[in-house]
Amino acid sequence: MSTPVSATAESEGGSPPTRSLSPGGGPQTQPQAPHRWGTAARRFVRHPAGSAGLVLTFLMVAAGLLAEVISPGDPFRTVADPLLPPSGNHLMGTDNLGRDVFNAVIHGARTSMVVVLAVTAIASVVGLAVGVVAGYRGGWTDDLLMRITELFQSVPRFFLAVLIVALFGAELDILIYVLALTSWPTLARVSRAEVLSVRDREYVEAARSIGASDRRIVLRHVMPNVLPTAMVVIALTGSRVILLEASLSFIGLGDPTVMSWGYLVNNAQRFLRIAWWMSVFPGMAIAVAVLGINLMSDALNDVLAAYSKAAPRRLRKRRLS
Amino acid sequence: MKRQLTVAALAFTMLASACAGDDGADTPDAQGTTETTAAAPVRGGTLVVAIQADPGSLNPAVTSNGGVHAASEMMFNGLVGWGTDGKPTPELAERWVVEGNGTAYRFTLRQGVKWHDGRDLTADDVKFSFEKALLPFHARTKASMGSAGVTIEAPDPRTVIFRFPEPYAPLLQQLNVTEAPIIPQHVYEGCADISTVAGCPANKQPVGTGPFKLDSYTIQEIRMSRNPDYFRPGLPHLDGMVQRVIPDLGTQLLALENKEIDWVTTVPGPDVERVKANRSLETAIAPRGSGGGNCTLSVAFNLRPPAGRPGFFADLRARQAFWHAVNREQAFRTVSFGQGKVAPSPINSGIPFAAATGLNLPNFDVNRAKTLLDQAGWKDEGGVRVARGVENVPDGTPFEIDWHGFVGDQTTYGEQLRGQLRDVGIALEVKTEDNPTFAATVFNRRDFDTAVVSYCHGDDPEIGFRRTVDSRQISPTPFSNGAAYSNPEVDTMLDRAASEPDPARRGPIYREMQEILVRDLPYVWLTESVTTRAYNADCSGFNHQNTGLFAEAASCRK
Amino acid sequence: MNRRYAVRRLLQVLPAVASILIVTFAVVHAAPGDPVLAVAGQNGNEEYYAFMREKFGLDRPLLQQFATYTSNVLRGDLGVSFVQGQAVSDLIAERVPATLLLMGTALAVSTVGGIALGALAARRPFGPFDLAVSTTALVGYALPVFWLAQLAMLTIAFRTGWFPIQGMTTARADYTGLAHYADVARHLVLPAGVLAASEVALITRIARTGILAEMSSDYIRVAQAKGLSASGALLHHALRNALLPVVTVVGTRIGFLFSGAVLVETVFGWPGLGRLVLAAAQTRDHPVLLGMVLVVAFSLVLANLITDLVYSRVDPRIRYR
Repeated sequence: MSTPVSATAESEGGSPPTRSLSPGGGPQTQPQAPHRWGTAARRFVRHPAGSAGLVLTFLMVAAGLLAEVISPGDPFRTVADPLLPPSGNHLMGTDNLGRDVFNAVIHGARTSMVVVLAVTAIASVVGLAVGVVAGYRGGWTDDLLMRITELFQSVPRFFLAVLIVALFGAELDILIYVLALTSWPTLARVSRAEVLSVRDREYVEAARSIGASDRRIVLRHVMPNVLPTAMVVIALTGSRVILLEASLSFIGLGDPTVMSWGYLVNNAQRFLRIAWWMSVFPGMAIAVAVLGINLMSDALNDVLAAYSKAAPRRLRKRRLS
Repeated sequence: MKRQLTVAALAFTMLASACAGDDGADTPDAQGTTETTAAAPVRGGTLVVAIQADPGSLNPAVTSNGGVHAASEMMFNGLVGWGTDGKPTPELAERWVVEGNGTAYRFTLRQGVKWHDGRDLTADDVKFSFEKALLPFHARTKASMGSAGVTIEAPDPRTVIFRFPEPYAPLLQQLNVTEAPIIPQHVYEGCADISTVAGCPANKQPVGTGPFKLDSYTIQEIRMSRNPDYFRPGLPHLDGMVQRVIPDLGTQLLALENKEIDWVTTVPGPDVERVKANRSLETAIAPRGSGGGNCTLSVAFNLRPPAGRPGFFADLRARQAFWHAVNREQAFRTVSFGQGKVAPSPINSGIPFAAATGLNLPNFDVNRAKTLLDQAGWKDEGGVRVARGVENVPDGTPFEIDWHGFVGDQTTYGEQLRGQLRDVGIALEVKTEDNPTFAATVFNRRDFDTAVVSYCHGDDPEIGFRRTVDSRQISPTPFSNGAAYSNPEVDTMLDRAASEPDPARRGPIYREMQEILVRDLPYVWLTESVTTRAYNADCSGFNHQNTGLFAEAASCRK
Repeated sequence: MNRRYAVRRLLQVLPAVASILIVTFAVVHAAPGDPVLAVAGQNGNEEYYAFMREKFGLDRPLLQQFATYTSNVLRGDLGVSFVQGQAVSDLIAERVPATLLLMGTALAVSTVGGIALGALAARRPFGPFDLAVSTTALVGYALPVFWLAQLAMLTIAFRTGWFPIQGMTTARADYTGLAHYADVARHLVLPAGVLAASEVALITRIARTGILAEMSSDYIRVAQAKGLSASGALLHHALRNALLPVVTVVGTRIGFLFSGAVLVETVFGWPGLGRLVLAAAQTRDHPVLLGMVLVVAFSLVLANLITDLVYSRVDPRIRYR
């Protein structure tokens, strides 16, 4: 989404500020390709938001990957009396069917992780491909690809997902495809705008004049400039996807064969008064996962923006210290 | 001669008790059926009742659906109601006489009862209600009186006669506003299709004789106000009633505790203790609700699936295996939270003369379930059973079945069972449905493998149990014989028991019949549900024996 | 406002509407099984299916079907819901006012609140207030709105008893006139508050960023040099320009406000579209779900149109080329 216009209008060259996407409080500048990725990475890790984000996200990913190890056993099984408060045996208590909430939350992490990784992978590949090709080629290719992008952006995600799940079935695959198909347009637009801003720069001209192939130019010169913004957008897409998946499960459209945080929060509704742990722990899990990714995206934005030449000196100094 | 005498004696006792009032008879769970108010009832105030869903229609005569009944019964009456002592008491009918061994019942209607639109109630309205609404569409009426071949006559405006070819014992228990509400002929006779809202707009603008009449019906609530011409003088005390839609039971309770509403019909199990301890609230256990009384939650096996759907449960061993795989005790504890009991027999134990004890119901035994499945040809292949040599099921078909139920406890059971069935290799998919969807899928198209139904048996097996196993009740009518169980032996026994005038002899017939059922297992009889209701302690005068008309004589202190 | 811009922007609505129609039509027809089941839902009897088949011309060639579909949608006629026994348009129209009330209130509160908080935070960048606001905003942005709703119910509604926990009006009473409005307002506080809380995080950050950027620009420095006090400069100049990104973002957030409203309504029993969507999702009531997708999609088009027109009025630098 670019200023000053909405999703339906053209983006007239120039990089769209990412402030409308990111909750980040960084300066109003574009992330640029760092001179040295290693240094950038180090700065990222030292950045308070970056390190916090890394930790939280790592927690979620670890929980997801190691679900069977940390908390073995079917989370849908009744293992104890219902509605037990948190205790030594059941760290997060049990729900109305006597299922262990901790077990359920850990397995919910796995579902979220799978969905996020799959969706961002697909959306990144498609979005980058479409955006870079459209931006680089220009002309009717650009027009065509942008029309297609608009098509996929025209319908609001949540309600479309509800309809598609109702029509096609509530399986995880369907959900992943729906979310991926509705997430790539934003990335396409943003990467296209980035490509447009560097396409006519001197060094690209230079490369072309010495006979470098398009592919080489794209890979060596264009992509490094697209990637920073793209990474920020991908991270934000990821956090949005977690919330979307949770919301769909909350209204009962999640995959019933896998445990999901949204399902847990929905189940907790009836027992809110007598079993607060059924709502609080899964809800916190969602918040932690989303927060982690958002923090990382913030930090990314800050770190990479510091390399921007457009940043006012005063603020830039602040960022780098 | 002796037979005539016995039936006459039976009828006389019922008549006598109807007129006598309190005689201290034993009614199940009669706790709190009448509150004695120290002062005279306060006139005025509005009672706010929570309901779980927008009922869609406000005509209780064309359905046995609990939601519609809960929302609309207070606007209507039956011929014979329930007194606070649990015995039949005159309502629209002032008095009645049983003639000819119980083959004819003659009712005299009250004088001067008016419909909400001012017209007078006549016997033609009663005849119309039965012939055009209740017998065709109300599942319990159709199954019981309908199968018994009742005919209704209205020889003069104040007389209605019910005639049966064989003596019919339970009639008086079936004439209350839940089982047989009376609707006005002049309002409903012009409807294209009286059972739908599209075919009958009057279904959203009900006209009845009840203590309350409709003010407005929105998606949020149903507002009713006092019927000033109600036939019981001085009643109702309340100015009005409001039925507020609150889908979540937990939220209903919060709203009650927060004083936003006054009455919750179903207190979820885990909350009961807390609610009882709350001084500003009262609780009561009602023997019957708007869906009927003595309800047994049952799982129907689809014994007559449509073409294209495998007959998973055609083989008795598959049904037995399912029974053995299900831990009814655990399901009862976690889903019903100990309210009610695990069903000890097919007929609800709230009908003591007909219910049975010591029946040989399959117990929870996972190994036995697995063995039976193996024997029936369902081989375990990687955790899921696959058909290898099962009759009428193509080889290679996995044992993947669906479970249809309403939102709430029914689907919660499903989730619980899903885990239990997974242990024996049966994959269960839980499908949550709304009432019309459920009716269409299960009874109309028979497009299901298992479906949960709360069958309310009423106060006599004829009323609500018969329709579940009578082969002549296999029909598209919702809440009829869902399993499509057909056994001529059982049909004969049902007929015998219905026309047996000696109550002492009916019991053994029912017992013998239940032994056959326990052998055939057309259903899984899960639990007998008991619901605790809670209400604002400032309000009193409720008749908990009554279903929709519980608030007829209620009043709320300010 | 530039007349030419307005006209061209209005014309852009057409491809947007076309996209919506194409995408929804494609989705419904791509669903597995008989198209009438996709259009009408899994429930229903012979009569109903015949009726819906007729209405959507499902026996005719695909192109004709699309024409029929378009004409139906533009007339607002999506047939009847078998489950609810009413016309889909009636079902939605009955509930739209309540949801719009909720959304509008949340939008107003979050915009005003967000700008105010952002402005206050920007007065002393990186100071304690700013850090507090920024952190809260970051965390708030990560909380799923349905969980926040449950928390609000648990802590505020139930503990304090200041606000009702369900419904739009007090059931017991039958208020009219001013008392009725006051009653609705009291019931609106929690649901709209929760929805606004989810939004305010984003608005705050955008406002803060925008104001900070403006504060460091030349014309503000000049004004300050001329003697304008810090807060004076803030209010008069920076705020006006900083509002622009907020306006932009508002248009695109309508989609989120809709889905958020649906989720909040299910928790608080607000009699709007939420309950309808929930019931339709559970019973796979396809015509209603399709109706919802269309209503929200068209609302988004409208919202973006208004946003762009307002923006072009406010920022004279914009010209559509």
